[in-house]
Amino acid sequence: MRAIIFSWEYPPRVVGQLSEYVKALTTQLATNKVDVDIVTYDDSATGLTQEPSGVKTMRVSNPVKTHIGVLTWVLTLNQEVERAATNIYYDADKKIDLIDVYDWHFIPAAVTLKNGLDIPFIYSVESLEDHRSPTAQSSYNMAIKSIEWLGFYEAARVNVKSQWMKEEVMRIYKVPSEKIAIVSADPDTWIGDILELYSSAVVEATK
Amino acid sequence: MDKLSVLMLSWEYPPRVIGGISPHIYFLSKYLAKQDIKAYVFTCDFPGAPAHEVIDDVEVYRVDSYKSPSPDFASWVYLMNMNMQKETATLIKKIGGKIDVIHAHDWLVANAGIGLKHIFRKPLLVTMHSTEMGRRDGLHATGEKMIHETEAWLTYEAWKVICCSDYMINHVKYVFGLPNDKLVMVPNGVNSHGYIADKDCQTFRSKFALPEEKIVLFVGRLVYEKGIHILINAVPKILSKVNAKFIIVGSGYMKEQLLNIVRSMGLEHKVLFEGFLDNDNLAKLQKCADVAVVPSLFEPFGIVALEAMAAGSPVVVSDTGGLAEIVEHDLTGVKVYPNNPDSLAWGITKVLLNTTYAQSLRNNAYRQIKEKYDWEKIAQDTKRIYEEVLGEYSKSFWA
Repeated sequence: MRAIIFSWEYPPRVVGQLSEYVKALTTQLATNKVDVDIVTYDDSATGLTQEPSGVKTMRVSNPVKTHIGVLTWVLTLNQEVERAATNIYYDADKKIDLIDVYDWHFIPAAVTLKNGLDIPFIYSVESLEDHRSPTAQSSYNMAIKSIEWLGFYEAARVNVKSQWMKEEVMRIYKVPSEKIAIVSADPDTWIGDILELYSSAVVEATK
Repeated sequence: MDKLSVLMLSWEYPPRVIGGISPHIYFLSKYLAKQDIKAYVFTCDFPGAPAHEVIDDVEVYRVDSYKSPSPDFASWVYLMNMNMQKETATLIKKIGGKIDVIHAHDWLVANAGIGLKHIFRKPLLVTMHSTEMGRRDGLHATGEKMIHETEAWLTYEAWKVICCSDYMINHVKYVFGLPNDKLVMVPNGVNSHGYIADKDCQTFRSKFALPEEKIVLFVGRLVYEKGIHILINAVPKILSKVNAKFIIVGSGYMKEQLLNIVRSMGLEHKVLFEGFLDNDNLAKLQKCADVAVVPSLFEPFGIVALEAMAAGSPVVVSDTGGLAEIVEHDLTGVKVYPNNPDSLAWGITKVLLNTTYAQSLRNNAYRQIKEKYDWEKIAQDTKRIYEEVLGEYSKSFWA
């Protein structure tokens, strides 16, 4: 199994809790014989490119430095994420089984890669725009929601951490129940559940 | 060997017409198809226009141009590119990746062009029709800087950058710091067959002018960079020598201000503001005018001068930008000092008072249009650039 993980934070860049989580995940995946590349953001390009675990890290910077908001920043950064992923894909003789995308930031890149190169993706949900900005209905929030919607629509599987989040995803985005997997933080079952989810996404994509 | 195929990316294609890129893509892809090139155009959707159709052997696809609310124009552009990329990638996969080159037009399709280049590992070419730096006369706001950097990134990712005039080549080289060998000039085209208008101008011109009045025509947006205010200032100087009617076609933010100036000069009966005209009436007017004036202060190319020349008007243009290259002084038109009403009045008066001179300008201009700005020739040049890029590409590790 060869997977690429998209996350907009990864150590040493820590914005929220996602960074440490993805770090633990990639280390565990490597231990379980999954070939892992992580594509993440860092304008100052710090950190290792290859860790002792074997996880390879590609840190991309934004090709456009001046921005009018988070939305335009994310959308131009996505092109570099996409470019990094295509390089990994072609270097691996096109043998990439799936992409695991953490939150909405890099959904646009994952969607193009899926439609252009047949690489399925899992949308792993940390949080939703509806919860982050519950009262905000500006066109800015709507645009982020539309990207979340696109992610749910195009994803092979959806990964959430709780029954509550599963219900929220179903309620807000009308995602069918069978598309969503709950991977809880239980240390005994966690990585096994992830591996099972990865396999199911690959099977789902070949249908 | 399969036909050479090009994927053309543009935010506008008829019937969606916002600026000059739309007709450019229409003619370029049509004439490329005549050069035995398989052309796919991907563009934004438009009410009533089908999602897919074949026009003049060109495959035209109109993608969902992102219709959810977006905070501002630039954000919409990037969101639209997300959709354009997704839909284009889907189609290219469907046809088995049979695309040889990707040709993007302006920053409006930067993300899609760059993304597809890397997804399919095909060479990207870009035509820079204009720049944010030129449009705004510098970079003042954050949004302008963002667009400028996006343009720079697009030219960086491109194998070749095409510009429509030597002036634009130098401008683009300077503002993005590009090497010479990346830049190539291909003029913009004008469809001279489309401009054969009614030979009998008497009836048509009587809608605008008295029989004894000469017609001076301005076509363009009523904005500062087009220099319309210079023409208005020249009106009394011209009227002191020759009886004329000034017809202003187009609209823009300076309209009210210009109307006030004309009113304060007491020249409302001599200067007509026509607003937008349909193509047919515009072509007739260009055919029947005694002189067409392009007094621009900034002009990357100057298609309006070419259109007038193709229609058979003698032209008076300011000696700047692309206009300076289109017109050869005293041979195919008259060049005057930019931003100078006296010089402009001199040029216009010279053409209006000397009909033999005007006729020779007409004839020479029309001949040159046929030779230099013909779409067939432009398509041949463009095809040669594609082949050259593919030759280089075939030696790269992407091939």
